[in-house]
Amino acid sequence: MLKICNVRKSFNGVNVLDSVSLDIGSSSIVGLAGASGGGKSTLLRCIQGLEVPDSGTIDYDCRIGFVFQDFQLFPHMTVLQNLVYAPALKAGIDKKQCIAKAQAILEDLGIGEKAAEYPRILSGGQKQRVALARSLMIDPDVLLCDEPTSGLDVATTEDVAALLERVNRLGVTIVIASHDLDFLAQISDRIVLLNRGKIVIEINPKDHSDAVEHLKSHYG
Amino acid sequence: MRAESCLLSKRSGTSFVSKIVADFLFIGSGIVLTLELLVGSIFIGLVVGGLFAVARACCICKTAINCIVSVVRGTPVILQLSFFYFAVPQIFGCKLGIVLTGIIAFGINSSAYVSEILRAGIESLPKGQFEVSRSLGIPAFHMWKDIILPQVVMNIFPTFINETVTLLKETALVATIGGMDVMRRSQVIAAEQYEYFIPLSIAAFIYYLFVLLIEFIGRKVEGLKLYAENLQRP
Repeated sequence: MLKICNVRKSFNGVNVLDSVSLDIGSSSIVGLAGASGGGKSTLLRCIQGLEVPDSGTIDYDCRIGFVFQDFQLFPHMTVLQNLVYAPALKAGIDKKQCIAKAQAILEDLGIGEKAAEYPRILSGGQKQRVALARSLMIDPDVLLCDEPTSGLDVATTEDVAALLERVNRLGVTIVIASHDLDFLAQISDRIVLLNRGKIVIEINPKDHSDAVEHLKSHYG
Repeated sequence: MRAESCLLSKRSGTSFVSKIVADFLFIGSGIVLTLELLVGSIFIGLVVGGLFAVARACCICKTAINCIVSVVRGTPVILQLSFFYFAVPQIFGCKLGIVLTGIIAFGINSSAYVSEILRAGIESLPKGQFEVSRSLGIPAFHMWKDIILPQVVMNIFPTFINETVTLLKETALVATIGGMDVMRRSQVIAAEQYEYFIPLSIAAFIYYLFVLLIEFIGRKVEGLKLYAENLQRP
């Protein structure tokens, strides 16, 4: 579904991604782990096309959605407008259907009553849900999530994990960049540890009783 | 001219109060020209300044625009006004009127400052707002129109009000090319009567009144629910 082959990316002479190759199959949840600066977010940004790799290829034949670390909701639009704006621009799209779809997604994510609110009054967890809902509006086959639990408390992190698992059960492949190993071990089918731009190890957390410790032992 | 003669003749009244009233009416009627210059140059400033800012952000003709902005900001307004009124007609052979010259000169001057204000507003937005627009497939035109510029305008509005106040006061320079605005009219009376205090005080009062009005409108707009609700970032 998504094939990353020998991707290199450097900023100011510093290698952030160094010959990264990865195959991501459909309907899986892949966790990208690693310390800050390890290259997790840059890899996601390369997949999404926000960064151009210096070399290597990223091939996919699917729609990709992106959930930003800091949500990046449009502050001057209500929650509903945030969801509807981009899809409604596409030719041949019925705006009423778009609004109905957005309402349904918001209800599904438990924030239906927030549709008319502006983002600034929402909590971190609610903003995360809105950002997720906005990405789901384009019916993505692959959802890239950059640090989805950053700044969230334990209970909200659990909620986000449950949400992502629900989205995955709908057939959406999810790639999560996070430094939260417990979260990744809980949710992922596969965890890829990146250190200084290189893949150090790949594990299936279900195969390891001490997956988190195992990953920590490979941190650089 | 007939109206001005009438006003001038009114100033020949005897009592002190009637003289001040006549002076006030004569000087105050110059506000029409001042407002023409202000509105016209704000319009040019916003349109040209907006185009400059967006073009620079998109790296279109960036060097050329940077040069224009640098030259306009680096030379006195009175020089630019004189250039458009005296030098340009010598090159192109057609003389523009005082009002048109003033609107063009002040407008171009304002556009340089507005483009810098907008540039600062655009650069103050998180890079993620551009990136999320791209990742959602929003076309560039719609991104600028509906996502970026509305946020920029809200952020820069107080600075823009400040630019408008500055522009209002700068329009007084039109007196140097013979424009009968508030300033010029106060000078006419002063020169005619060898008395400076009252006419200049009247002119100062009129300018100050309009500055207060602009500030009042600015505060009202900033107090609007829509503006206040969305000023803070999420």
